[in-house]
Amino acid sequence: MHNVRRVRQSPAAIQANKERERSKIVDYLALTNDVISRKKNKDWSRDAFDVTQKLLEKNPEFYTIWNYRRNIMLNGIFPDSTSEQLNNILASELMLTTTALKDHPKVYWLWNHRRWCLQNIPDGPIVEEKPSLQWRIDNWNKELAVVDKMLNADPRNFMAWNYRRYVLASMPIQRPETAELAYTTRKISSSFSNFSAWHQRSKIYTSLWRSGQLDPVKSRDEELELIHNAIYTDPDDQRCMDSLVYYNRLLLQKHRPHSTELRGKCLVLLQQLEDIDPPRRYRYRETAEEIRRIQPHEVAECV
Amino acid sequence: MTQDLKLLVPLHVSYIQNLGKSQDELAYHLTAHLRMNAIYWGLTALYIMGHKDALDREEMIGFVMSCWDEEAGGFGAHPDHDAHILSTLSAIQILIMQDALDRLDVDRVVKFILSLQQPSGVFAGDSFGEVDTRFLYCAVNALSLLGRLFELDVERTVSYICECKNYDGGFGATAGAESHAAQVFVCVAALAILDRLDVVDQQTLCWWLSERQLPNGGLNGRPQKLEDVCYSFWVLSALSILNKMTWIDSEKLVSFILSAQDPESGGIADRPGDMADVFHTQFGVAGLSLLGYPGLVDLDPVYCMPASIIEARGLRKGWKSLPRKSI
Repeated sequence: MHNVRRVRQSPAAIQANKERERSKIVDYLALTNDVISRKKNKDWSRDAFDVTQKLLEKNPEFYTIWNYRRNIMLNGIFPDSTSEQLNNILASELMLTTTALKDHPKVYWLWNHRRWCLQNIPDGPIVEEKPSLQWRIDNWNKELAVVDKMLNADPRNFMAWNYRRYVLASMPIQRPETAELAYTTRKISSSFSNFSAWHQRSKIYTSLWRSGQLDPVKSRDEELELIHNAIYTDPDDQRCMDSLVYYNRLLLQKHRPHSTELRGKCLVLLQQLEDIDPPRRYRYRETAEEIRRIQPHEVAECV
Repeated sequence: MTQDLKLLVPLHVSYIQNLGKSQDELAYHLTAHLRMNAIYWGLTALYIMGHKDALDREEMIGFVMSCWDEEAGGFGAHPDHDAHILSTLSAIQILIMQDALDRLDVDRVVKFILSLQQPSGVFAGDSFGEVDTRFLYCAVNALSLLGRLFELDVERTVSYICECKNYDGGFGATAGAESHAAQVFVCVAALAILDRLDVVDQQTLCWWLSERQLPNGGLNGRPQKLEDVCYSFWVLSALSILNKMTWIDSEKLVSFILSAQDPESGGIADRPGDMADVFHTQFGVAGLSLLGYPGLVDLDPVYCMPASIIEARGLRKGWKSLPRKSI
């Protein structure tokens, strides 16, 4: 239970609350028993499908019922459906979880169900006697839009970020990674302390450098400039320091500073951090020592 | 402000005892999917507070066995719920704490667990395939407790954990995911069980873990998030496994955990003034045990079970908690 304030109630109020809940409990248990007995009887009917929805709307964490719902689709509904019908069923299933996610943005089972639906989307209709990827393309684009909305509502929702990475990695037509870099820039501009976006950026940069799509020397220089500005955007917020310092470490350690000039800039930055954030001064000094220890001949090799 | 606070042991014991008697609350029924885990949390907290017999043993074992999913060969969270690796680990831990492992069909449950490993090395939670390093830890922990770790493809398992490592030294839920203290715990503890802590960037990770402490003494799970009692365990367990417990201010953390107790009805909440629950009660007590709080029983941070039980099975690793203070 998270973020639920404790409220002291009188014994009479507690009793009254229990009275009110009594009929809800009776209804909930009756519905649960109905669905569970259908499940035991391997009832794969449309009717069973509908009652699972009723129960999941009351309790989206009831993982067994999500499992049962998927089994109804696999065993009862999909075998008699055309691929167009299948696409429609899965699209409405995605809608169902979108609604549920609005109230329950951090329920693992919802994200899990979504992923399963997406995996089962058929490719697309036959267009001019050729197979197409139309349904997959449409649904994947919709998913990106949904996850954008979820991350607008809570920019740190790690389940939404994980799902975003899943959607991006499995796009029927891959998006250029530079588009994702631009997305993280937007996220960071609206909140400099969005560590989830910094994290995403670290992954994208590493990949772009590895594939040779971006010049590591140039982007490291630009990135350092960005961090430098960040520190002066919000110097009072001590807590955002550590995320920036870590990010800095990525630039400094894994990909050693490549020029005397950049090394000089790093050392100035670390000195500034020491002044702004004295409690962590020993760590900054240690990092500065590491940079000073780098020999010029190592620089070229590590890029 | 909270210097004089004490752990209210008798109150927490009766809080846990009463949890099973709240069938007249809707929330009790809406959380049936967590029942097996809740019993593990309650029993472990009682054990650490020195009251392991406060719940009826036979009734508990009977409940655990009634959650066996014959079709899958694992445990669900509640009778008639599907088997899942989360509830399966809790069931095994409960049976071991109650010295009732003879009730378990070990071969079948080992088969179920091993069937969940994916080609990448990660584990799924059940046959529907959601993957997470939490499930990997559950599998490694359970196989180790059952003495069947030799059946695991260790290289493949460790290689997936390495894929989850980030530049801050931490680990995420899947390859590419952001570091999160609870995922750090599962990855570090799994590596400890597999004797592969060499793959951890210990200095960087322990720095990141220490940064989780906020000015009020509490710990958060990621940068820029609120403190929460459960991170007392997720962060501390990892620091304890890596022998860096002294890197945080333990007195302030003890005060923070104690200030999140409900002094009237018992139990511990995520933070002061919130509703208590058994999850935070267990992880608050577990954290206090690692912090050397007087009068508590030693907790093994790798398995999150009483240290004596793990030692008796010959599974103790080289972790260090703070020395137990005298009352």
